[in-house]
Amino acid sequence: MKNIIRALRTERGWSQASLADELGVSRQSVNAIETGKYDPSLPLAFAIARLFGKSIEEIFDDATEASIAAE
Amino acid sequence: MTQQTFKSAKRRYHRMFWPLMAIYSVIVLAGSYGLNQLDPQPTWLQATLAVACAVPVIATLLVMMRYAHETDEYTRMIQLQGLAWGGIITTSVLFIVGFLQLFHVIQHFEVFWFGPFFFVAYGVSTLILSGGKHC
Repeated sequence: MKNIIRALRTERGWSQASLADELGVSRQSVNAIETGKYDPSLPLAFAIARLFGKSIEEIFDDATEASIAAE
Repeated sequence: MTQQTFKSAKRRYHRMFWPLMAIYSVIVLAGSYGLNQLDPQPTWLQATLAVACAVPVIATLLVMMRYAHETDEYTRMIQLQGLAWGGIITTSVLFIVGFLQLFHVIQHFEVFWFGPFFFVAYGVSTLILSGGKHC
């Protein structure tokens, strides 16, 4: 799933490690989520959204999933 | 969500893993040395030592499972997939070697080596699954 976490993170001048610390996950987890290799669970997606002060929909792009659901 | 989930899980893992490996090394080295001093070697002592050597390894497997349970969700996925692939690869090799023995292609193979083989298969699988990054 595409997302704008990398953009939001760099906007704030945060490293992957500091974001990982804030979320209580590994730096590898942050990297995997940013690159779209791993889709976070709902609780982690909420934690990310809360940290950036945005809604889940603003951060994660569910276009692919939405088109599959529409078919 | 709990802060520092990953870091505290990793700390707890290392706090158990390295002492267990040290205990394992001491039991294997001191045990086999002590056993070699005896002639004849009592069977009960050989059996006790064999089980004692396996105990830290079994404990390590349980520590690995606890780490998978306590760590963050991505690391858990990688760890559990690594354990699954390690098990699949080891069991596959076990079956091949087993049939080779049944069909008298090979005469003898030490079952012991499947243990270390599993840990190597698990480690390599985990490394591949995580894209070469340590989890």
